[in-house]
Amino acid sequence: MATGGDPLHEELVVTRVFDAPRGLVFRAWTEPERVRRWWGPEGFTMPYCDIDLRPGGIFLRCMRSPGGQEFWVTGVFREIVAPERLVFTDSFADAEGNVVPPARYGVGPGMPLERLVTVTFEEHAGSTKVTLRHAGLPSGADRDLVRHGWASGLESLAGYLAEAA
Amino acid sequence: MASKTLDSTFAALADPTRREILVRLASGEASVKELAEPFQMSLPGVSKHLKVLERAGLISRGRVAQSRPCRLEARPLKEAADWVERYRRFWEDSFDRLDDYLQEMQREGEGGDGR
Repeated sequence: MATGGDPLHEELVVTRVFDAPRGLVFRAWTEPERVRRWWGPEGFTMPYCDIDLRPGGIFLRCMRSPGGQEFWVTGVFREIVAPERLVFTDSFADAEGNVVPPARYGVGPGMPLERLVTVTFEEHAGSTKVTLRHAGLPSGADRDLVRHGWASGLESLAGYLAEAA
Repeated sequence: MASKTLDSTFAALADPTRREILVRLASGEASVKELAEPFQMSLPGVSKHLKVLERAGLISRGRVAQSRPCRLEARPLKEAADWVERYRRFWEDSFDRLDDYLQEMQREGEGGDGR
């Protein structure tokens, strides 16, 4: 478990302190030529990366695995506060940028169609703390109801269950 | 269809009371009455939550006794939790690479804007 606190109210949170000023880190997150240098696991390349950096703007990226499988990913920027905060949706896509179900890439069954990613950048004495929150957005009418709650505690519950099994 | 199941799983998990009920059931079967106690909730209130959990496949109810004890069904929850772990690994891996790349940017003097 990566974070402390109430295990029932956590979502996926990943934090890292980078030894670089905030403006630089923000550029690494938002300029296509920089994004493609690091986004994705080791050994992956990014043959395509387009970013329309404005609220409502769309990004489209293609990640290629070491084995040559391509994963297209798209999303919409919901919030941009340079260089402090980014909020965007995240979905699997085809090469034309249409959202496709994760199953198309052999991912699942646990993956929601659309995810919401919130990234904050805080500078402390020349270093930058990046906090990334990743939550699922189920489709359908109850999406708003669910948005804030569902990711909470999934991991903790899975932990309980593993022990109880 | 897996995604339909997932939507009902997520919807069921959206409520803190229902999550508490699942945690309680992780330590063993319980009757509706036993589940109602810690929440100071009416039996019909708890029953409503249990119906949602049952529809989502997260619990099952005994058929024999009058109390119809509730039991946790782990599989849908584990499936829903899987993607969280996948994404954690994805971001940790990416952050390792970002760390290297930021050092490279600074060595090349691209970080001098001080913003």
